[in-house]
Amino acid sequence: MHISLDWIAQYVDLSDLSPQTIAHRLTMATAEVEGVETLVRSLDGVRIGQVVSIEPLDDQLTFVSVACGTEQFTTVCGAPNVREGMKSAFAPAGVTIAGGQTITERQVGGKTSQGILCSSEELGMGGGHFGILDLPASLESGAALADLLPSSDTLLEIDNKSLTHRPDLWGHYGVAREVAAIFERPLRPLQLVDVTQYNDLPAYPLTLDDPENCPCYCCIEMTGVAALPSPLALQCRLHALGQRTFNILVDLTNYIMLELGQPMHAFDASRLQAVRVAPFGTTGQFTTLDGQVRHMVPEDLIIWNEREPIALAGIMGGLNSEVSERTTGLLLESANFKDARIRRTATRLGIHTDASQRFEKQQPPANTKTATERFLHLLLESGLHPQIRSRFTAQGTLKDQTRYLDIPTDFFDRRIGNPIAQDRMVSILTSLGFEASITNNTLSVGIPPFRSEKDISLPVDILEEVTRLQGYDNLEPKMPNFSVERVVLNDHLRTQHKARRILAQAHGFSEIHNYSWFDETWLKTLGYEPEATLEMANPSAEHNVRLQTTLLTNIFAVVKKNTALRDHFRIFELGRIYLPAGGQDRIEKNVLAGASCQHERLGSLEAHFRQIKGALEALAEQLSLGTLAFVPATTTTVPWHTPGGYVDITLQDTVVGQLGFLSDPLLAKIAPTAQVVWFELDFDRFEGPIFPATSYAPTSRYPGSWFDFSVVASAQAGFAELVSTLDEFSHALLKKREFMALYQGRGLAEGTASYTFRYWIESQDSTLTREQIEAFQQEYITFLQSKGLRLR
Amino acid sequence: MQEIRTQLSEDLTAATTSQDIEAVRVRYLGRKGAITLLRKNADFSAMSADEKKRFGQQFNELKRFAEQQIAAAQARQTSTTLAPPSIDMTLPGLNNHLGHLHPISLVQLELEEIFQSLGFMILDGYHVETDFYNFESLNIPRDHPARDMQDTYWLKNGLLLRTHTSANQVRALEHYGAPVRAVFPGRCFRNEAIDPSHENTFYQLEGLMVDREISVANLIAVMRTVLTAVFHREVTVRLRPGYFPFVEPGFELDIQCLICAGEGCSTCKKSGWIELLPCGLVHPRVLEFGQVDPDRYSGFAFGLGLTRLAMMKYNIPDIRLLNSGDLRFCEQFPAAV
Ligand SMILES: [Zn+2]
Repeated sequence: MHISLDWIAQYVDLSDLSPQTIAHRLTMATAEVEGVETLVRSLDGVRIGQVVSIEPLDDQLTFVSVACGTEQFTTVCGAPNVREGMKSAFAPAGVTIAGGQTITERQVGGKTSQGILCSSEELGMGGGHFGILDLPASLESGAALADLLPSSDTLLEIDNKSLTHRPDLWGHYGVAREVAAIFERPLRPLQLVDVTQYNDLPAYPLTLDDPENCPCYCCIEMTGVAALPSPLALQCRLHALGQRTFNILVDLTNYIMLELGQPMHAFDASRLQAVRVAPFGTTGQFTTLDGQVRHMVPEDLIIWNEREPIALAGIMGGLNSEVSERTTGLLLESANFKDARIRRTATRLGIHTDASQRFEKQQPPANTKTATERFLHLLLESGLHPQIRSRFTAQGTLKDQTRYLDIPTDFFDRRIGNPIAQDRMVSILTSLGFEASITNNTLSVGIPPFRSEKDISLPVDILEEVTRLQGYDNLEPKMPNFSVERVVLNDHLRTQHKARRILAQAHGFSEIHNYSWFDETWLKTLGYEPEATLEMANPSAEHNVRLQTTLLTNIFAVVKKNTALRDHFRIFELGRIYLPAGGQDRIEKNVLAGASCQHERLGSLEAHFRQIKGALEALAEQLSLGTLAFVPATTTTVPWHTPGGYVDITLQDTVVGQLGFLSDPLLAKIAPTAQVVWFELDFDRFEGPIFPATSYAPTSRYPGSWFDFSVVASAQAGFAELVSTLDEFSHALLKKREFMALYQGRGLAEGTASYTFRYWIESQDSTLTREQIEAFQQEYITFLQSKGLRLR
Repeated sequence: MQEIRTQLSEDLTAATTSQDIEAVRVRYLGRKGAITLLRKNADFSAMSADEKKRFGQQFNELKRFAEQQIAAAQARQTSTTLAPPSIDMTLPGLNNHLGHLHPISLVQLELEEIFQSLGFMILDGYHVETDFYNFESLNIPRDHPARDMQDTYWLKNGLLLRTHTSANQVRALEHYGAPVRAVFPGRCFRNEAIDPSHENTFYQLEGLMVDREISVANLIAVMRTVLTAVFHREVTVRLRPGYFPFVEPGFELDIQCLICAGEGCSTCKKSGWIELLPCGLVHPRVLEFGQVDPDRYSGFAFGLGLTRLAMMKYNIPDIRLLNSGDLRFCEQFPAAV
């Protein structure tokens, strides 16, 4: 939102304060000022001119003669709103307008143009290109604009987010109050017309059917008004803040909204008989004053003229009741609508107006009366003399009474953590328009009606008011005092971090992050259709609807992406999967998944697979989980679970994950010239003790020995079968068996392989003798023979 | 004999030149050497046949030990004086085993350690949250304009993807009660268009301290301590008003720009300050939602952007790199914290 310092200066003396100082202090005490802009008006040489005659040249252009005092000029004008007798701003040849263009005398269509009639934008005033300025007849022809308007203004841009809780700051007077309090300067009062003087007049026929969504609706009727151009200074302010101007009746509602934060609406009174505030009640259509047909739902709040809808409450008026040139009677609405109602309708219809934006912050109802009184004052000041036809008619609760709160003064010292002087509390609150007094260490605060109940109702709300003006910068930091207590360590997170470190530090994996949802396009490519998933109602993209139930599909996408960059790499992600659990329930699981990719020429797939299997075994060992078992699996529920291409990983007979490798046709879609080994583990099942009970086992005092045996066995049967046979061999001296190498090829019969094992033997009570060693070897060989195996 | 054994070993260890070793040999095995004399001086007449035999065995063993040890020492001596095998020691070291941690993990690990050192628990939380924990219990009822600020991903079943780690505040209060000191790091989601500085998936670390008499002054002191640890140097912080419905008063905490020390530069947009984290005193209603009595307890909460910190710390110019899976990015970060 933009704030004009020229406007603020109407209420607070800003002399000797630079805009930067004001911006900084507002940022530190009130709300973030995001920018300071200077608006420079190009007024030199520009004069008030009156249109004397108009002669059309073609569809768009007119030849106009303009009187500036005693001087006469001619100009060719393209503005649609030019009309005979109107007063506007005339820039004769030689004058430089906004943007740096200097006006010259020129010929257009055989006519001499000696200058231009100006729009507000052409004078650097802002306000948009909506035709030439339309100024009041009372302005003296020929007068210099530079004498009538300030040559510049400074606009502060305030972050709307930081005003969410401060409806009072959606108007200049609220900001002026803050500035006055910050710089400890007086705030000039608003000039108002007291509406109680009309209490003897009849009430306007008004029915409030929905007090829930319209806590307070006020209106007042008057005649003897006209939709004349607004005073120059008023137009100037509206333009500076980017508002288009229309006529005094409409412009004043906008002006007051910008001054007090209270949106108002001007109805042509002659179109209305009685006003009713009620929901739309059905579905149907309504045409707003911008000419758009809106689709209404029953809950939308509507202002009705008897049975005819005339305005979309708090958002926009309708075409059928708008003020026009013929308007002589005005029904002025000043209402308070419920934030939630306005928000829902505005959001659904996608209409975010200055009014709806303010109502969504829940304006205090008391503002409705102040705004009406301010409107009447400014109307009179503009030279109009309306006849008031109704009293100020209010339905609902005005809440214009001060609200009181008693707070012990030590509450402030304790919550701030620094002592704060009692008279300082009182002076700060007073400067913000609160009543404040202290008796017996109790602060009695009177909350003014212009501060909304949502904003100020609790002692902490008063605390904030006092502290921010006291200055957060002035607080002395203090470490809290409390007893030393043991921090309960988060074992789950520690295990996760441990796994990350093991994979990255010992096994060459790089950690990646993927999104938490599937990519539907990629799923189609993979030929994967997930089972039950959680679905987003408003996904970021059409192809990102379902939350992931496996990390692998996104990991495969990363594999594909990186194959062009690297001929070998390992990646992992420790992330979440999301499973529906009926109704409003869900299960989230921590999952560790990864992939290792290497170009096929860099080594055998079997060795590659064993490396990743080894990494998982090491991980389980380091996490003290015991031994993982890898059980060949055959079910094909997902495309990467190819029979013979993956194993279930089990831990104490429970399946905790899978390990496998990709093969065609899937491999061809991901990494056609590479091997891809993947794994996915239910990490929540993968948690061992944080401080495992590792205990030292004494080594023998006597040196042991080792022997390598190469056993020839059927390659078809596989390693696991061989090992289960070898497991049957036991011997008192045998300490451990270790698999060393696999050999297939020359010198071996077709279908057989040579498996080299290292056998470690030792005795706890003596050095091994040659006889003992030979006996062991002989026993082993005999064992092999009994199993039909032989040494190579 | 055992003493001689020990002494010999020590002497050989001390001997550094071949002359020293020769001197050791003479001292033990020479004509008047300690071992030679052992036999010469033995009184065999006082020994039984068995004793003589045992002495003989032990003596021979000792002599053989001494000869082997001296020979070995001499061999070592000779070999060190020979030229070593020729290898190119300027070849680069081999390292096949180091991978890389994600920058978010690196920053998270570091912050977890800092907060644990200050007595905070580390808590995990759901990504899929209920309206109650993400909004309602944080004093953001339905239709509150603050919901606009955090465009929410809603699920079809009425749940949502948490928009902030603040969703853990009331969970932590319910579970641990007061007093409590905890931080909750984790993934958050907002329905935003992605560009170099906006992501729909990012990480935060929310912190909560509730105890008797927690004040704004405490908040400033703790934040300053934490940030000094995070940035590894003294940081100057300032508070200014900020609006978040779950704190009152609410603040934006700025740090003085670390690049220009407050002079003003392009990083801080000439202001000298960097907006770093939202914080404030926990709103009494939030305490009530967490079953904590706001008259007895007060607290503060803060929200650190882990993603933002990682970007600051590692000079990452584009937020989209973090979820890109691009190894040219991932491989720039260490494996160890
Ligand atoms: Zn800087």
